[in-house]
Amino acid sequence: MAVFMDLNITYTTDKKRLRSVIETAAHLGYSTVAINYVVDLQQKKQEIGKPKCVSELFDTFPIVQGKSRPIKVLNRLTVVASRAAHFKPLREYKAYDLVAAYPKTETLFHAACMEFTIDIICVAATEKQPFFFKRSSVEGAIERGVFFEVSYTPAIRDSTMRRHTIANALNLMEACKGKNVIVTSGAGKPLELRGPYDIANLGLLFGLSEEEGKAAISTNCRAVHLHGEMRKTALGIVHSMKNEQPLTERQEEEDVPASKRAKIEMAQ
Amino acid sequence: MRRAHIQDQPATYERLVYKNTSLYHYMRISLQLENESTRLSAAQLKQLICSGLRDLYGESNVLQTSDFPFYLLSNQTFPLFRSLFLFVSFSGLVKLWSALTLLGSYQNELCSFRVTQVSPFLLTLSGNSRELELD
Repeated sequence: MAVFMDLNITYTTDKKRLRSVIETAAHLGYSTVAINYVVDLQQKKQEIGKPKCVSELFDTFPIVQGKSRPIKVLNRLTVVASRAAHFKPLREYKAYDLVAAYPKTETLFHAACMEFTIDIICVAATEKQPFFFKRSSVEGAIERGVFFEVSYTPAIRDSTMRRHTIANALNLMEACKGKNVIVTSGAGKPLELRGPYDIANLGLLFGLSEEEGKAAISTNCRAVHLHGEMRKTALGIVHSMKNEQPLTERQEEEDVPASKRAKIEMAQ
Repeated sequence: MRRAHIQDQPATYERLVYKNTSLYHYMRISLQLENESTRLSAAQLKQLICSGLRDLYGESNVLQTSDFPFYLLSNQTFPLFRSLFLFVSFSGLVKLWSALTLLGSYQNELCSFRVTQVSPFLLTLSGNSRELELD
């Protein structure tokens, strides 16, 4: 069975709080988390900066409860989209493991489903969705491998937001029939996180079946992670890796001139 | 050898399929509060759970699930956490579980219910492999 992942932990500059959130996630059983940097390009002077290096947070990552491996932390970018032009800069996206879009209008939602090179489309949780989900756009997104994300932390904070979250989620399920959905927290504090089986149960509230609910936090999240990796490596064809050669070999190669090197290799 | 006067009767069988093993489910949960020194009594805990149900499902559904704190256990090794056992009918399990998940605050203080175990059998709640200490 795929491991549990929580792909939305709000980034705060408070390192201690971020660390405690990740520790709680590890304690609850999540094997992978993603730190979410939200960028609203409508505001002036907002640039997509580079994400902070993950190893700065921890010297040794906390070990996931129930397993012997440490928790894996990814970087994720969410672009709050109000214009299609916001999606042009692609160079900065490579630094992030996952890219998400939060479309505000129906045209942008359709464009995000069909064209943008992203992994996740966020469904509004704090406000009523201003547009309805068209089945054609949603099916197009499913074919491309883009996932729809429902966040549950606003539902914990406030009862009006709870209504919006459930209403929007039910709308989405009508359009997508439960496929390609992930449920994530938007946790900023450790007490806002919930365990994976609790979220699978919440999936039932959102209109998913039991199997789909569990897949929303495990299998589908793994698919999103892989989709993000494929996006970085051009459909999985090109994969660059740092090759560190030991010093002695390099020195030996330099001593021997090129023509002699070729003869030695042929003799061997 | 067959005897002519005994007639063969067609074999009859009855197949019983139980979809649920039990009508009732037991849950073991613990409440984690932001301010760790706060202590809640059994009545306050029950009121909190009922208010959570009411917030999510409205007035009419509160009475449908028959849940009451079964046994309050204060674990010696973790004095900050208390284990609480709940007893609920199978149809009310999803409602209660979702109400517990979405409960966020107690008297303006952040709190969260951590569901440790859910089982149709009470005895299985006695052991928790997550807190097992291996020597």
